[in-house]
Amino acid sequence: MKWNNGNDVKQQSDNVAVSGFRSFGFGRDAAADEEVDRIDFKMVTFSLAGKDYGIDIMKVKEIAKFAGFTYVPNTLPFVAGVYNLRGEIISIIDLRLMFNQTAERRPDGEAEDGLILRLENNLIGVIVDSIDRVVGISSESIQPPHPIFADINIKYISGVVEHDERLYIILDVERIFAKETEVARDVPELPAAARIAPAVEGPGAQAGAKTDTDFEFVVDGLATFKVLYAGDINRGWIRDRYQTWRSMRSEQGVSVQFSGVEDAVDFAGTFSSSDTGRLWGKPYWDGVAGVVPTVDSAVFNAWNPGCGKGFETYSLAAILKEKNPQKRIRIWAGDNDLLSISTAPSVVLTAESVPSHMESYVTQGTGGMTMSSVLRDMIMFEYHDILNQSSVPECHVILCRDVLSVIPAADQERVLNKFLETLSPLGVLIIGDNERLDHDSRWTRISDRISAYRKSE
Amino acid sequence: MRVEYINPFVEAAYSVLKEVLGTEVHRGELYLKSTSMPVLGVAALVGLAGDVEGRVLFDMTKDTAIKVASTMLESMEMEPITTLNEMGRASITELANMITGQAVTKLHNLGFKFDLTPPAIFSGDNMEISDSGVEALIVPMELPQGKIEINVAVRERG
Repeated sequence: MKWNNGNDVKQQSDNVAVSGFRSFGFGRDAAADEEVDRIDFKMVTFSLAGKDYGIDIMKVKEIAKFAGFTYVPNTLPFVAGVYNLRGEIISIIDLRLMFNQTAERRPDGEAEDGLILRLENNLIGVIVDSIDRVVGISSESIQPPHPIFADINIKYISGVVEHDERLYIILDVERIFAKETEVARDVPELPAAARIAPAVEGPGAQAGAKTDTDFEFVVDGLATFKVLYAGDINRGWIRDRYQTWRSMRSEQGVSVQFSGVEDAVDFAGTFSSSDTGRLWGKPYWDGVAGVVPTVDSAVFNAWNPGCGKGFETYSLAAILKEKNPQKRIRIWAGDNDLLSISTAPSVVLTAESVPSHMESYVTQGTGGMTMSSVLRDMIMFEYHDILNQSSVPECHVILCRDVLSVIPAADQERVLNKFLETLSPLGVLIIGDNERLDHDSRWTRISDRISAYRKSE
Repeated sequence: MRVEYINPFVEAAYSVLKEVLGTEVHRGELYLKSTSMPVLGVAALVGLAGDVEGRVLFDMTKDTAIKVASTMLESMEMEPITTLNEMGRASITELANMITGQAVTKLHNLGFKFDLTPPAIFSGDNMEISDSGVEALIVPMELPQGKIEINVAVRERG
């Protein structure tokens, strides 16, 4: 599976909504699916004068700390100034003043919490009291605003929603900023200073919350750009990577949040398992050879979903051949990337790319080196999406590296259930180097060197 | 869907449509679908049995079916049709037969052996088709007469 084939993944996950897996008795999955169905609206929440508000996450470009912006004379009182956002000049609005709330003045030099909003026409920065977190809700649970919400003009409220026993007012930012002139008339002409309360010390607790919000933004960004989906299987790696990412980004003086898909791909760059996209080198080869089970039956079956161009399938095939020379070995290999899988049956190699322990499995053809028919005849390459049904029989090995992490979290669980069903009692599941199933009591880890698991007793 | 099966179907559909209808044919992006899926209105179904088992479905709207059949009839200097009558159904059946036949011939040459069933035509509104345990490859073909979706669901005999 490639990193950037997110479109495919998305498309197929849509199909899954109508798939027949539920009828096969995956009770857990049905519940998980519903969970996902429910959360279809995410908002960034923050507080203004002690009340909770939310803004649709799709409108939020990033969470920011504003410091040292330039005051512009003769503007409306709620215009805090202009700010240089990496070369782009954006105006900063103090939402508290705009809505006639008291604004606590920060001690000199301390940055203000804020959001940068991506509106239809422009970017705009807003200052709030403090950013809370990202909350996922169902859009069905949003209720229309009641006329008694008088603090903020009702026409700027798109709805009210309760989450975790807190009531959030969802602001309609397009309306608020699209009609700035109208707002201006609504704000009574009071001297701004009169509404600014003295500074209150003690924003210490906010540091932790901010870090978590940034982390959630990174996780959301990975999913939005369809690069990596955070789940139990890879959360450990994403957290570790987030720490190095944050220090790297602050050294470069740029925001920890992704500014585009390139950043997300960059973040996930080191996630790939060793020997991805080539025949396995000796260390990984030995690791896999060490965990491949010995079976009594005359047939040895293996499954390799997400095989890409087939290099890992050929490597596995050679290992199985050496461990079980007398058995009939069959490998089902599939990928949902049509281009990659089409080249897999007749992949052409260069002499340098063939490690010495696999030299006996390649043959010199007219157009270059190809895999020998000994291995090719063992493998059936299929254009297949792991989220769809498959007709693979019971397998002794399932090799599925870095694939679970590129499918949405709710589907990860369902695919793992399918693995549990397909794997023989002593069978082995091999997942990506940076993926873990240690949290799942149904799996037992059997190797220190590679991520290999067996079904728990 | 085994990789080796994909191209014969795509190539056969492309060349037969182009030749029989004498028009430009554009192939859309191939994709995979699982289980139950709606049928556009007229569907010709050809069964496969042998090394593999499954079926090929040629799916189009009624309007497209009438236009395609009319084009075929006109090319043989016969009257075009305005409703999907027996002649129209026979033309669509023949088209499905030609495409599947050519694909299977290509597969025979690659060493895969299997037989076809005679095509059956289904028509109606709000139809769905589902195959348990197989995912379907969709090959969309864009013609001036409309869109024909070729829906191939085959698997190895277990």
